Amino acid sequence: MIGLLSWLRRRAENVLVLMMAVMFLAFILQVIFRYFLNLPVAWTDEVCVIAWVWGILWGAAFVTRNSEEIRFDIVYGMVPRRAKRVFTVTASTAIVVIMLISLPAALSYVRFMKVESTGSLRIRFDLLFSIYIAFVLSVIVRHGTVVYDAIRDRLVEDKPADRPAMDL
Amino acid sequence: MSLLSPFSWTVLLIVVLSLLGLPIGLSMIGGSVVYLVITGQDIGLTAEQLLQGLYNSYTLLAIPLFILAAELMNLGSLSDRLLGFCNALVGRFRGGLGHVNVVSALIFSGMSGSAIADAVGLGRLIIKMMTRDGRYSPSYAAALTAASATIGPIIPPSIPLVLYALISDTSIGFLFLGGVVPGLVMGLVLMVMNAVMARIRKFPTETPVPLRQLPAMTWRALPALMMPVVLLGGIYGGVMTPTEAAAMAALYALVISIVLYRSVSASGAYAALLNSARSMASVGLLIAGALVFNYVVTKEDIPKSVAVFMATFEFSAIGFLLLVNALLLVLGCLLEGGTVLLVIVPILIPAAKVLGIDMVHFGLVVTVNLMIGLLTPPYGLLLFVVANITGEPIRNIIRELLPFIAVLIAALAFLTFVPESVLWLPRQFGYKG
Repeated sequence: MIGLLSWLRRRAENVLVLMMAVMFLAFILQVIFRYFLNLPVAWTDEVCVIAWVWGILWGAAFVTRNSEEIRFDIVYGMVPRRAKRVFTVTASTAIVVIMLISLPAALSYVRFMKVESTGSLRIRFDLLFSIYIAFVLSVIVRHGTVVYDAIRDRLVEDKPADRPAMDL
Repeated sequence: MSLLSPFSWTVLLIVVLSLLGLPIGLSMIGGSVVYLVITGQDIGLTAEQLLQGLYNSYTLLAIPLFILAAELMNLGSLSDRLLGFCNALVGRFRGGLGHVNVVSALIFSGMSGSAIADAVGLGRLIIKMMTRDGRYSPSYAAALTAASATIGPIIPPSIPLVLYALISDTSIGFLFLGGVVPGLVMGLVLMVMNAVMARIRKFPTETPVPLRQLPAMTWRALPALMMPVVLLGGIYGGVMTPTEAAAMAALYALVISIVLYRSVSASGAYAALLNSARSMASVGLLIAGALVFNYVVTKEDIPKSVAVFMATFEFSAIGFLLLVNALLLVLGCLLEGGTVLLVIVPILIPAAKVLGIDMVHFGLVVTVNLMIGLLTPPYGLLLFVVANITGEPIRNIIRELLPFIAVLIAALAFLTFVPESVLWLPRQFGYKG
């Protein structure tokens, strides 16, 4: 089970890298087409933006580790472990409940968007935005797991991040 | 705005969830869902605001691309050659490697938009040079490196300024130009402080590189030195948007490293892509949260309430700026820079506008504040990075860092009181403000 999960995570990383590479290449093509060949194309813009939306939500859903996320941990860092567990159970239960409440409305918004398509590639917006549903589901599953782990005395920071959360 | 209004409850919920340790992006999304529930609006608005907001924030694509460019530069030997060039230039003075540290950071910041990327890449090399043969103490090398890395996002390109452009609706081009003079001022004060330290503590000079070798050294470093020219020339020549320039910078770094220096492996390129994509995902979630929360703020007409509230205090523009400086310096100790920028600064912007403060000037004041915040404990990301590189206890590094923080705050005060220092250059390029 653990082996399967880490295999899936590595494949999710491959997909994320692919999106980043596609975004990069599309930008290069755009510059070449517009300035060197004098043939402005619109589809490259769209490819980049789609890679951006999918990259963020795919990455947040399947690649980012819990310990890598940007959080405010001054208070959390000062309290004893028992309180940390109470904090974690409270906050993660809250977000699971909130996301479950928002799920039907999010689904209906995404399905409603089938009436529109992107400007040049004619991709239906319901397909494009479906990644948001995957993201919401992943938050529910991941924070459900976080609650379960915290009850059994395993906390997010027990597995430290290998890099700073964000570049600024 | 009553204390028990839906908006107050929403803010309270977001603060509580964040304090309990939930990721800040998720706290904002969660708070906004609850706001929609208690005000009886369509909960689907969360999905709509988040997705449409991300889909329409084209300029923000510069962020992952600038991170990618920095990752690729750090792969190749660009930084190595840059350091050789700077050493030939300023190594001959007392405290020479300290000056090399600042000058190379100034040049490197013309290619990278992130302080962390500067410290991780160039910083690691210069720390190694400074501590070789025990010339400088590791804690001094670490402190100066952290301080000079703060210039990275002030001199263009800059990731925080791209985010600021989004929240304040200001031109990225003019913001970037506005950063040039402040960045140079920061470099200058750091070099002065290093010179003072060198005199007091008898730091060594480097063997002077004969001046006739300088052309050859310059030639070797030329590809690195040309990068800012390509980047800024492209943007201000009107050839490319800042976002396209970011992509070209990444391409340039990749081509130079492969063609000239033959120093990029496939696994190195993969790691660079993965690291930048992971940064994109974690900062993207924060942006997503800010977009959703921004809907609530607009719906409640908060900017207007803030303006009315501010009017009762009769602040002067300079009084307000000083207050902002104090507030951000304190928050910078506690919060991560991106959070301050996306959560706190949007509340300050309408007030600044009411007081007639120029948005480019305000942007630079805010960003310099955030950079100093990266140095101040307990939450100073740069501090963690250099501590990690040197293995020195953070306490020792902070002791060495204090004089540099002091001069950076002096530079900040100068920028605050003299708006012309920021606005002069943009005005030369037609900025009307």
